[in-house]
Amino acid sequence: MALSFSIKRGVQLASGALLALASCQAGPPPPRAITIQQTWELQVGNQVGDYRISSGLGDITLELGGHPVRMPFDGRVQSMDEHCIALTSPEVPAYLFRLCGISRPKLGQQLQGHTVGRAQQLVFATFRKEPDGTWTLIEPATDLIAQFLTE
Amino acid sequence: MKQRPKRRPRRQQRHRLISSATLVLLGFGLGLGLRFQAKAASASQDLCQTIVSSQAVLSRQQLTQLLTVPERENRQAIEAIAQEPYCTLAAIEVRAGVKAERTAYPLAFDPNTWLVVLYEAEEYVGYGFKLQH
Repeated sequence: MALSFSIKRGVQLASGALLALASCQAGPPPPRAITIQQTWELQVGNQVGDYRISSGLGDITLELGGHPVRMPFDGRVQSMDEHCIALTSPEVPAYLFRLCGISRPKLGQQLQGHTVGRAQQLVFATFRKEPDGTWTLIEPATDLIAQFLTE
Repeated sequence: MKQRPKRRPRRQQRHRLISSATLVLLGFGLGLGLRFQAKAASASQDLCQTIVSSQAVLSRQQLTQLLTVPERENRQAIEAIAQEPYCTLAAIEVRAGVKAERTAYPLAFDPNTWLVVLYEAEEYVGYGFKLQH
């Protein structure tokens, strides 16, 4: 009994240690993937020849010249595609903001007003969630974009 | 005899230095604490703009029913289940030319979690769970 107990305990400890090790080696969280309703061929992330498309229909490019991009509300920042991040917030349900061009963005939960990162050229897109779980590219309000760029 | 009067002021000076440094540190700590408190208070106040019904909470049953309502449904479908919200949030324009209204309900079984519902005109757009600290 004592032996089997100690074996069990050993197995438990070993599996616990393995789990802890696995969680340590998990690395960064997986990027945010969404299904966009508009299926254009020329969209962010696709290529023309050897060149990556950095903006498509519906994207707004702003010449920030290295100025900061800030959180307009509390929310979550996740990586998305290459060179892009997805910003979502429970305060603005059913919307997702895709920001491309930010160098070394801060990922994870961020508070309102915190700097996400800086960009030379910020490529901004807004998506609205559909009942089937897909996302539609929509035209964002000017004031909303401004909130990302001011303190 | 000559050294004695010199030592005393030195000791006093040291005591004064230590006590003033402690006071400065205490003051700094207090200031920081107050600043954090103020920040936390403003953060929790930020969510609500106008209190509608200070007793409003959402029960488990109401929440379950509410989550079955599909997006783009008329807002009455949500209001029929959830009744009056605790508060409304500041109006926001996400889509160009469309004003969005947001209401918030604390959960009866988890008061630190609030359900935020977003409407555009008469349409229910979606919900989010906001953790309140």
